[in-house]
Amino acid sequence: MDTAPAVETFERLRRITLRRQRLEAAVGLLAFTVVLVVAFQRSQFFGAEIGGDPLGRILTFLDRMVPDLRGEVLFEGRQQGGSLAWWYYDLPVWLRAGWQTVEMAVLATLAGAIAAMLASFLCARNLMPYAPVRFAVRRMLEVIRTLPDLIVALFLVAAFGVGPLAGVVTLALSTFGSLGKLFAEINEQVDPRPLEGLDASGAGFMRRIRFGVVPQVLPNYASYALIRLEGNVAAAAALGIVGAGGIGVELQRAITYTEFETYLAILLLIVGMIFAIDIASEWIRHRLIGLGGAR
Amino acid sequence: MTPDAYARARAAAPRAMQPAWKSQAVQLGFALMAVAALAGMAIDLDLRGAAFVAGLSKLARLASTMVPPSDGGDLARIVRALAETFAMAFAGTVIAAVVALIPGIVGAKTVVAQPALHFGFRRMLDMFRGVPALVWALIFVAAFGLGPFGGVLALALADIPSLAKLYAEAIENCDDRPMEGLRASGARPLAVLRLGLLPQVAPIMASQTLFFLESNFRHAAVLGIVGAGGIGFELEERIRIYAFDEMAFIVILYVICVAVLDTVSQRVRARLA
Repeated sequence: MDTAPAVETFERLRRITLRRQRLEAAVGLLAFTVVLVVAFQRSQFFGAEIGGDPLGRILTFLDRMVPDLRGEVLFEGRQQGGSLAWWYYDLPVWLRAGWQTVEMAVLATLAGAIAAMLASFLCARNLMPYAPVRFAVRRMLEVIRTLPDLIVALFLVAAFGVGPLAGVVTLALSTFGSLGKLFAEINEQVDPRPLEGLDASGAGFMRRIRFGVVPQVLPNYASYALIRLEGNVAAAAALGIVGAGGIGVELQRAITYTEFETYLAILLLIVGMIFAIDIASEWIRHRLIGLGGAR
Repeated sequence: MTPDAYARARAAAPRAMQPAWKSQAVQLGFALMAVAALAGMAIDLDLRGAAFVAGLSKLARLASTMVPPSDGGDLARIVRALAETFAMAFAGTVIAAVVALIPGIVGAKTVVAQPALHFGFRRMLDMFRGVPALVWALIFVAAFGLGPFGGVLALALADIPSLAKLYAEAIENCDDRPMEGLRASGARPLAVLRLGLLPQVAPIMASQTLFFLESNFRHAAVLGIVGAGGIGFELEERIRIYAFDEMAFIVILYVICVAVLDTVSQRVRARLA
């Protein structure tokens, strides 16, 4: 039997495929390189007008940010240069501001979650029979999700004035946008049998939700809301920078007075705070999921 | 129900078998405590209903000045700022992706089989994952001056811990049989990584990195507010002078750009997967 034609066909096809793959790879690589070069050029990363040498600048700056702590006076009072108390010279104020940030996050998450719950019933396919209502609510949530927090915050600070209120409203709004979608997805996955039972016994929209949906979804809702709370603490810390209250205001102040060491101190405080909230929230979430299973 | 069966049921489900009023009282107590704690927080933050209502009416007034949106006669400048924002996001993502490779590989359980080191490394990444890019940007702009340089660094720094974690997981989750086969056929360690590991993890990593590019475009827009250039800077300027019609124009244009980038990136990611 002559296998030559088959081998030849195979080789030809292989050559074509290889050539196409190489061409695609080359075009892709070229496009990537062009975008990369333009991106670095436009973002002035190696820009000569600010001195060039990005690594050197980063190192100098790190050196300025790390405080000169001295071992032998580490636990002296705050008058003593080089002690911990001197580095964290305004700790009570920062702790207070940090707690305010946590409070902002908690209240905003709660308000956002409640609003999201109401919206999620209106845009779940199995609960809301009218398609136009579902469509309108979903598009609204989408638009809210697209707007960056900080830009909303800037606008709301203009309306509500400087202070935590603007921050809480901003965070509640973005929580509403993201949780509304997640809650709606949970709603659409509920077991339909309790709903059928309620339908058969003549229950209305409110009763269907109260007895058919809420008992099934509440543990999941709480779990998502807690995850969102973790993110909101970080977001609330950042919002302070535009005047929306909390620890961010202190960060902004440290920068205004170019106290880089203080900035690092507050930054570490924020990292610790976020870490603590994460651990607490994880613990509660695991318990919630456990209880949800036992019920 | 026999006393014996009752006792067994109690032992199995103590909460279900206690009198109803007792669990209700406990629930009510918890609810009251929660409400009191929340009210305390609201008072501590000085959140007042009157201020909220007054703010809402002012908000409506400000919002009414947003229509019709106007480009303020300088469309070219806005487009340039948008391009700069994309450049920041792209540069930041590329730097983060390259730098995150090292902790990503070291952080993978299958590569560094040293539990203590692995644990410490992961916890360290966890700690810094929470810090928002804005917090980094604020200090970088102060240190390096106004301009995108600080923004690029901030984006990169905020992404490195998350990307490293994702990379480490991608490496851990890959199939190790191709690598075993290569080792068995006598390939050198570098060849094992290149032919056994890379083909498996590269598409996953690329797709995750693209996802970060999308999110960085959103973050980059925000960084301008603290002086890192780009569209955020333009927006901040407009809001400071209450030019809300121009703000609305920029926001609309920006939202369109986000949608376009997301669609393109989703297409590419679908092809990679």
